[in-house]
Amino acid sequence: MQIEFKHYSIGLTLLITGVILIAIGSLFWIPKPEEILTSLKSKEMLYSLKLSVFTASIATLLVTFFAIPIGYAIARFSFKGKSLTKIIIDLPIAFPELVLGLSLLLLFGNSPLGKILNLIGIKIVFTKLGIIVAQFFTALPYAVRITCASFQGVSVRYEVVSRTLGYNELETFFFITLPMAKNGIIASIIITFARCIGAFGAVLILAGGSYMYTEILPITLYLNISYGNLGMAITSGIILILVSFVAITIFEICEKGNVY
Amino acid sequence: MRCIYPRSLQVFRRCGKKRLHFKRYRKKLVLHIPVIAVPKGNPGKIENLEDLAKKGVKVALGDPKACAIGKVAVKILKKAHLWNKVKKNVITFTPTVNQLLIYIATSQVDAAIIWEDLTTWAQAKGKIETIQIKPNIIKTIPTAVTTCAKNRKALKAALLFNDFISSNSALKVWEKWGFKPCK
Repeated sequence: MQIEFKHYSIGLTLLITGVILIAIGSLFWIPKPEEILTSLKSKEMLYSLKLSVFTASIATLLVTFFAIPIGYAIARFSFKGKSLTKIIIDLPIAFPELVLGLSLLLLFGNSPLGKILNLIGIKIVFTKLGIIVAQFFTALPYAVRITCASFQGVSVRYEVVSRTLGYNELETFFFITLPMAKNGIIASIIITFARCIGAFGAVLILAGGSYMYTEILPITLYLNISYGNLGMAITSGIILILVSFVAITIFEICEKGNVY
Repeated sequence: MRCIYPRSLQVFRRCGKKRLHFKRYRKKLVLHIPVIAVPKGNPGKIENLEDLAKKGVKVALGDPKACAIGKVAVKILKKAHLWNKVKKNVITFTPTVNQLLIYIATSQVDAAIIWEDLTTWAQAKGKIETIQIKPNIIKTIPTAVTTCAKNRKALKAALLFNDFISSNSALKVWEKWGFKPCK
């Protein structure tokens, strides 16, 4: 009985993996290699690629800066409204990115907050900064989840011992807890970067998705589908897949290294 | 065999080349009218096409390569010799026309050029105002019967459908959704 179930589950796993692989593979199959090459060298693609890496890097830095303390707070401390906080931070995982984009548009656009930011020269709607803001909110919940889980994996006893041996709270965090959660933090950074590179809906609504201005890779894909330029669309799709592949592979390696 | 009523005549022309399209059944159905849309209260004080070129006005247009309304808007502005001035005021070119509607309805921009029929959508109700464009480039939406196979029965159905969507009761539905019938 047990063996039968084993075979059944492995078979199913391989079947679905196969379907996904064929689906991704067909993306590589359709265009001619030279078509991909010319698309890669096009001004639009280079612009989009550079802007994607630039915005995603900044967004990843910001997300990590916030996700580490948030993840730690959720993992270690109990405070009023903690469950609700967790639910709200996680919300963007569950609802469509377009809804997130619309909410951000209403918050930062023609609103009191948007007007104040505008006065001090910070323009978020229809700008490159808007891309970073959209990526930040899209990726933050994933980063918080992963950092929180990795802090939970570090036993509190190490911290207690560290405190009895003379480190204060901050020293304990930086010299004991953080190094022990290192793999989780790296995994979180990788997933955040991948999520930022792939962010679409929120970026489209908040930053507008203008050709060669607020154009990042998923926007290039979308724009070129509308332009009827399949070569460009598929090439940006392929780059996005490669980024995800590298990210997930590093994530898996980090996960394996996480021995507490 | 099927009956279609696409947004442009191009599809019909393509079908015509392949002899899939019966010219004699073609009818002009409704008008597709570009208008200037502004948020309720008209914060940018837009009265006409020239006002889009005023200093400090925030304009959103469709991407001319990605959607029909973008292409038409640029054509209209070029025809009025305003394109070079208005171009400086465009803060975003959107891939879809629906985005323009959202940005107007939430007052993110002062004006956009969109199809008049879009303004009847419930989400826009009471949130936007429209200004007619003069001189305008108005598209007509035609209906015609096209066929993919020589199947008599299906042709009959296609003809019936063609008659139906151009009938008086159907035109009332078109009007309800903001399309003006051709006269």
